[in-house]
Amino acid sequence: MAIQEFFSPLKVISKRTFFILAFVEGVMALLIWQLTAGELIPTPARVATAIIGILGTDYFYSNLVQSLALIAEGMGISIAIALLVAYLSLIPVFKPIAEFVIKCRYLTLTGLIFFFTLITSNGHNLKLSLLVFGIVPFFVTSLLSVIDSINVQEYEMCRTLRMNSWRALLEVVIIGRFDLVLEVIRQNFAIAWIMITAVEGISMSEGGLGTMLIKSNKFINIDNAFAILTIVFLFGIFFDYLLGVIRGWLFPYTKLQLLS
Amino acid sequence: MTVRQYQKKEALLKVSNVSLRYDCLVLRDISFEIDDIIREGVTQGQIVSLIGRSGIGKTCLFRILAGLIKPTTGTVLIDHDQHPVRAGDVGVVYQNYILFNHRTIYDNLRISLERSQTPPGGSIDAVIKEYAAEFSLTEHLKKYPQQLSGGQRQRVSIIQQVLNGNRFVLLDEPFSGLDAIMVDKVKQLLVKIANMHEDNTFVIVSHNIDHSLAISDSAFIIAKEEGKEGAVVKESINLIDMGFAWDPDVIRQQEFIDFCASIKDKI
Ligand SMILES: Nc1ncnc2c1ncn2[C@@H]1O[C@H](COP(=O)(O)OP(=O)(O)OP(=O)(O)O)[C@@H](O)[C@H]1O
Ligand SMILES: [Mg+2]
Repeated sequence: MAIQEFFSPLKVISKRTFFILAFVEGVMALLIWQLTAGELIPTPARVATAIIGILGTDYFYSNLVQSLALIAEGMGISIAIALLVAYLSLIPVFKPIAEFVIKCRYLTLTGLIFFFTLITSNGHNLKLSLLVFGIVPFFVTSLLSVIDSINVQEYEMCRTLRMNSWRALLEVVIIGRFDLVLEVIRQNFAIAWIMITAVEGISMSEGGLGTMLIKSNKFINIDNAFAILTIVFLFGIFFDYLLGVIRGWLFPYTKLQLLS
Repeated sequence: MTVRQYQKKEALLKVSNVSLRYDCLVLRDISFEIDDIIREGVTQGQIVSLIGRSGIGKTCLFRILAGLIKPTTGTVLIDHDQHPVRAGDVGVVYQNYILFNHRTIYDNLRISLERSQTPPGGSIDAVIKEYAAEFSLTEHLKKYPQQLSGGQRQRVSIIQQVLNGNRFVLLDEPFSGLDAIMVDKVKQLLVKIANMHEDNTFVIVSHNIDHSLAISDSAFIIAKEEGKEGAVVKESINLIDMGFAWDPDVIRQQEFIDFCASIKDKI
């Protein structure tokens, strides 16, 4: 492949070529980082050293487990609520509620921290409710757009096959779109993962990666802060990949959609 | 041209004074009737063409016939007992061959067969395999709809509606997007299934007048009258009396070709 082809729009490249490109660009980015970093920004080498240091401490693992437990709990509750709201939105009386929930994306969490502090009994519940409140509107928004994009002819086919509306809902929306629900979870997991460090910064008693991050910043340990940031980033990418793999494995037909 | 002996018995589908209004009047006063055709010594189903310009309201009429939407006025009565049509009485094969994409071909057929009002004899598995073999789909049963070609999906869609026990099946543009050989195959398939049962009735909506009329026994031209809003049935055609019905080779006859050309001028 000639070099200029890398610069022409709409050029289709093979997966291998993509990985080579990504690798080269990654190395270049690290090089630029290494060469331009100075006092304020730690060099990649220093960040790498810090990462290795952090990975060697029990302190890190207990905080990681803390964060993972919180995100698992938060995601579980959020998914349950979001699915319920989204599925119920197909029943007319619940439609306004669903519409309200997706508008809650515009509510700023900062304004609600005080309110949630008042109504929750401890730090854990405060973090959890902030997390759930932060994720659910985005979840529901994505889920509703999945439901919206269903062709009415698919419901009509169910009716011609003499299914009642509940059965059609089950077949088309719940079973038929479960692969897309997983995709929505994958996309919104990123929001949850970002929020988790934020809420752990608000209530630090239980620890967690967010708490670690805040403490590093407080003690102006920039190397550590960058290291934690990198670890959080890599974990996020790993989860993203994992959820993608699970989706392809559970629903083999989703891979076909990508091809055609 | 061969004129054949037949009798028309009671109505199987009766459309009376159907009108449909959205922002403007789409259908004005549609009335027509599809009668059971009886032929000595043969199981003879019915195939009917609905012909009309693009945008005239064919798909709307289609959904009314299937009981999926209610007309503004008028009635659609169906079957020997002439009851008002309900969703589920009539099978629909859409132009884009909608199937459950999250189910394999086998499961798409199974779900339909399980919901059949008149389950055929034999186990579900045996029936599916039999139909699959008949319509060259055996090797595709384990695949998902997206792994099939348009023509294969269409066959699945037609069989799905037939296995559901529907005697009435509506087909929207069954010939579009198929090559010449596939068009012939689909025509054969339709004729074959239509003649599997005396009451089987297929209604074809198609822009492809020649192919559609070639397998039909009657046709209705839907058009607007000059200066008036809303489409009506402008002409009913009895292809049996004209000698064009039940003859696979009719499409090569000059009289038939001329006839189709004259229809094109009317729509
Ligand atoms: N839900 C709707 N609301 C308003 N107008 C509609 C609706 N559905 C159809 N129409 C109008 O009714 C008319 C007939 O539409 P229809 O889809 O039945 O045409 P058609 O004969 O099937 O055309 P084609 O051959 O191109 O598919 C069109 O003018 C369309 O704009
Ligand atoms: Mg149409």
